[in-house]
Amino acid sequence: MTGRLRRFAVGAGVGALALALGVAVAMWNAKAPDASALLALSLPDTQGTAQPLRQWRGKVLVINFWATWCEPCREEMPEFIRVQRELGPQGVQFVGIAVDSADKVGRFATQLGLNYPALVAGYDAIDLSKPLGNPLLALPFTVIVGRDGQVALTHVGPINPAQLRSTIAKLI
Amino acid sequence: MLLVAARAGVAQVEPLPPDKAFRFTARLLDADTVEARFMIADGYYLYRDRIHFAVEPAAAGLAVPRLPAGTVKEDQFFGRVETYRGDVIVRLALKDPKPGQSIVIAAESQGCADIGICYPATVQRVPLELPEAGKPPAAPSQAPKRAWFN
Repeated sequence: MTGRLRRFAVGAGVGALALALGVAVAMWNAKAPDASALLALSLPDTQGTAQPLRQWRGKVLVINFWATWCEPCREEMPEFIRVQRELGPQGVQFVGIAVDSADKVGRFATQLGLNYPALVAGYDAIDLSKPLGNPLLALPFTVIVGRDGQVALTHVGPINPAQLRSTIAKLI
Repeated sequence: MLLVAARAGVAQVEPLPPDKAFRFTARLLDADTVEARFMIADGYYLYRDRIHFAVEPAAAGLAVPRLPAGTVKEDQFFGRVETYRGDVIVRLALKDPKPGQSIVIAAESQGCADIGICYPATVQRVPLELPEAGKPPAAPSQAPKRAWFN
């Protein structure tokens, strides 16, 4: 290799590295979390029937991690019921993933008049929320996914109803 | 300026990790009694019926501890629910401790923060050295005994 060629090769290497770094930084800044692992889940409902999340592909999906023992989770669910009723016909689908036992979830869903699926999961399912912006695995945790499967919003704690509705409105 | 305003707009209280929100410690009171303590940070609370203790090895035996009364709240779904704030101190009685034995007290707890989040059950562990026969327990502030070289 001549000196010139070597310089070119080194320069190209540095350029490629800088480009890779730039892409990495751009990806880091974009912070568009990937929900594909979450959307590939199949979880039992309160009757024990497996419900793959992919059945709601193409809808505006609001996935809410919750538990019956989590009071802040329960407090925001009546609003979810209202939005599901109002916007369900426009292709909005709420799905609750309860980190809880099936019998408690079933009883609570009946008591509350839940009008969207309540799936039951263990702590391994909530682990999937970690890379989506929930490092403490806190509840409630809500992920809003557009019709294209891209994550539009993730939120730890009770979600502001105005933010919920405005995010959904942009995706309908 | 705009950036500062934008940042202020999204600023929110960062929740503590559960082992900081519900810090657990344990110390020996005598050869077969452990004082377990949760130091609950301001703005956080633990559920009384979700606190469980265990000793490792299990052969050291743990009597079912008596938990102090909590603050009672009527929950529309669960009925009577008791919660703790501040410090919670529980005495744990070992049923079959061996002098000089190394044990671990494992404490499971579950709680929430007033900012509106709850945590999954968390287990915290504290290692303890039981005193040699005829000796008082080492003060917690002392350096660890040479357990590794015995």
